[in-house]
Amino acid sequence: MAGVVTRPRPTSILEALRGVRQQAESYQGIWSWIATVDHKRIGMMYGVTAFCFFLLGGVEALLIRLQLTTANGQVLDPDQYNRIFTMHGTTMIFLVVMPLSAAFFNLLVPLMIGARDVAFPRLNAFSYWVFLGGGLLMNASFFTGGNIFQGELGAPDGGWFGYAPLTLNRFSAGEGIDYWAMGLQILGIASMASGFNFVVTILNMRAPGMTLLRMPLFIWMTLATSLLIIFAMPIIAVALFELLFDRLFEANYFNTLVGGRPLLWQHMFWLFGHPEVYILILPAMGIVSEVLPTFSRKPLFGYPFVVFSGIAIAFMSWGVWAHHMYTTGLGTVANSAFGVSTILIAVPTGVKIFNWLGTIWGGSIRLVTPFMFSMGFITMFIIGGLTGVMHSIVPSDYQQQDTYFVVAHFHQVLMGGAIFALFSGIYYWFPKFSGKFLNEKLGQLHFWLMFIGFNLTFQPMMVLGLLGMPRRIYTYEEGLGWEVLNMIATAGAFFIATSVLVFIINVVVSVRSKERAGADPWDGRTLEWSVPSPPPPYDFEEIPEVHTRDEFWHRKYVEDETGRMVPIVAGGALQEEEHEEEHQHIHMPSPSYFPIIAAMGLPLIAAGLIYWEWINMLPLIAVGAAMVVVGIYGWALEPEAE
Amino acid sequence: MKLPRLSTRTLVLLSLLVLLAAALLLSGCGTSDLPQNTFAAEGEVARKQRDILIYWVLGPAAIIFIVVEGLIVYAMIRYRRKSDDEVPTQVHGNTRMELAWTIAPAILLLVLAVPVVEGIADLGRSPRADALHIRVTGLQWRWQFEYMDPEYANADGEPLRVFDEVHIPTKREIGLEILSADVLHSFWVPRLAGKQDAIAGSTRHMWLNADRPGSYSGQCAEFCGLQHADMRLTMVAQEENEFEEWIQGELADDAGSGPGDSADGPANGPEDGPANGPGAPAEGSNGE
Repeated sequence: MAGVVTRPRPTSILEALRGVRQQAESYQGIWSWIATVDHKRIGMMYGVTAFCFFLLGGVEALLIRLQLTTANGQVLDPDQYNRIFTMHGTTMIFLVVMPLSAAFFNLLVPLMIGARDVAFPRLNAFSYWVFLGGGLLMNASFFTGGNIFQGELGAPDGGWFGYAPLTLNRFSAGEGIDYWAMGLQILGIASMASGFNFVVTILNMRAPGMTLLRMPLFIWMTLATSLLIIFAMPIIAVALFELLFDRLFEANYFNTLVGGRPLLWQHMFWLFGHPEVYILILPAMGIVSEVLPTFSRKPLFGYPFVVFSGIAIAFMSWGVWAHHMYTTGLGTVANSAFGVSTILIAVPTGVKIFNWLGTIWGGSIRLVTPFMFSMGFITMFIIGGLTGVMHSIVPSDYQQQDTYFVVAHFHQVLMGGAIFALFSGIYYWFPKFSGKFLNEKLGQLHFWLMFIGFNLTFQPMMVLGLLGMPRRIYTYEEGLGWEVLNMIATAGAFFIATSVLVFIINVVVSVRSKERAGADPWDGRTLEWSVPSPPPPYDFEEIPEVHTRDEFWHRKYVEDETGRMVPIVAGGALQEEEHEEEHQHIHMPSPSYFPIIAAMGLPLIAAGLIYWEWINMLPLIAVGAAMVVVGIYGWALEPEAE
Repeated sequence: MKLPRLSTRTLVLLSLLVLLAAALLLSGCGTSDLPQNTFAAEGEVARKQRDILIYWVLGPAAIIFIVVEGLIVYAMIRYRRKSDDEVPTQVHGNTRMELAWTIAPAILLLVLAVPVVEGIADLGRSPRADALHIRVTGLQWRWQFEYMDPEYANADGEPLRVFDEVHIPTKREIGLEILSADVLHSFWVPRLAGKQDAIAGSTRHMWLNADRPGSYSGQCAEFCGLQHADMRLTMVAQEENEFEEWIQGELADDAGSGPGDSADGPANGPEDGPANGPGAPAEGSNGE
């Protein structure tokens, strides 16, 4: 743990380890990143990696849209199409939105709660490397189908939801589904590790005076998300083990020929899958709840209500899973119960939206890019929420289920919602971690292109769904009335792609620019703005003492006699880089390469298991297992740096 | 950094764009002659499923969206920062408003629950005794229909079997038994009724009827592998006498072709396929 110094045990192996360790302190360049346990660096690695996967998932989305532009499209064959839409969904959920949220947890949690790092810095590094390994393993499946340059793709073809029995060997030969299941299993380990890490960090490492109800809202949403991850991931893990046992070792969980139950998969998948939806959206709500107060110069309206509505959503998310299954024939009572629970989850969601409106109401609003993305989030999320209520109307859902109406709805929530909020967060906190502003003009261009493109792409899909277009079809005939709307949707997708290019250009231009952002460029309210940009490795020179919610704001402004807020001259922050020399006494956790060793063993074990029937692949399992064991032992025994 | 300008006109334009999208949505569904338009209902089930949406949901949802979004856009224009040193009153919340916007939507939504539960019970009932019984079996990638009523058995006492195009009489209730021979499928004829999944290893039931003669197209709605998109079907509704004529003709054809004739058989018969009728259903309709 950060801040604790233990004396190394005097054995010769440990002496040797210490020698390497001391060397690790001086690692430069890429080695300093590989061995890092600094939450800010890990956060940035999470962010950059997830963004690369975002580009990959985006290319997959464009291919899907190109194929569907016209009736009888010829861009992809059905086999390629099925593999690409499977990977698009899996990538965007597990390799983009979740890790982008994790990037923000990593970057912000210690800074917002006044800590110097997370509770378990090496576990944090482990989470990242496991995530990277799982993501690469899953995408490696593309190469298993033959010659990829001739379009022979090997990726999974069962959809991101992987419904059995279509995912059994009998219906999906090849290794795609194995890679998918193993990849998800590994990504689950990464999520669990980071879930525990952030729960412990938030509960134990808050600065003195930061009571639970003084925590920034983003911290609350991180806590709720982490708890959801801890409880949801084991369910999908069990389901995936069952599937893998069916596929690899001829078990019969889902094999209907011998009485296996396909609906068992659906119940387990969605019991994980619906909390997962909130795992994706709660961090986004947290980001928006930080951005709006800053740019309105007002505290979050109804803070306790926003906190408790978030917790209510997290709880209720466990009671709505079967709304993905109305058409499976669960019966009248079950459908009614899940219909009503789904209707009711709209209440806490509405509370959040009204409070955000209350926050900007009467404020002093600056319409800069981060704020615009947050408003884009709210607008799209309202539509997403209202169409969500439409899905709880069970009789109507019998029509909407598995149509483009559903596709439109969840993109409204996950792209118009989560991705917009994540971009809002990127524009908001970029100056904090890079010391540079993202260019505002390019930012506005990015926002408007993406906002227009988003609506062009997904609003026509609502109509397409009501006009009877099912999901996951690689082609459609003429004469069904779907051509024009599909063409509009494809055009919209290219608007979105252009907007992402603008964003990339913006990052390049901005990083090169000479304009420096100060410690507090937006007149922020929370503790991360009280330290220099970028923050020093130890974050806080002195652990701050917290007296109120929006602590940093109250260091800058006081009430005058008339009750108006006025700035304190020479505000509380900005004593940055005053006495550089005195920081040497701050003890920070040392870099370690054991997390990456342990993490990289996992994909090797997975690859060995996928090909276990080829006897020569068995050593791969042994090598992977040895790496995990060595990594964990080295990690446990590694001496603290002096 | 200077404050960027975002004109009132841009914001109004934005709201218009969103309203345009909503208008597009509604007008698109008004075009009734499209083959799979769920709003162009031609049967009791599809009509009920559509009406609950139109009468209970779309209107209130549109009003809520316009009001909330209007307030947001208004606030963005009205409360823009005029000078860099203005600091608004630090309002922390208002318990009365919180209670109002918690309780009011809750009541509104619970009212909505009434037609929902009613509709579920209504559509979830068993088919009437006098219904025409058809067994629907989904298989990769075709639909097999069997007329289960004894009067439509062929000379061997087996039910008349057709593929991908099924005929039904109008104004008579059709009771469907839905099965799958391989993976999951979902039976869907949008203008007649919403979906019922075909679950491998169990039997599901649904009912529907057609108001008028016509040819209603549908397709599999649960992803079922390579040719999922091509797993289409047509439900032809005919007046009772025309239907009788058609089915007697089919029965005659059936008698003409030998039992070994597989011209009509499934293209991809799986080993547990329906060639001899799907295996005995493992459980009842709500068995899960």
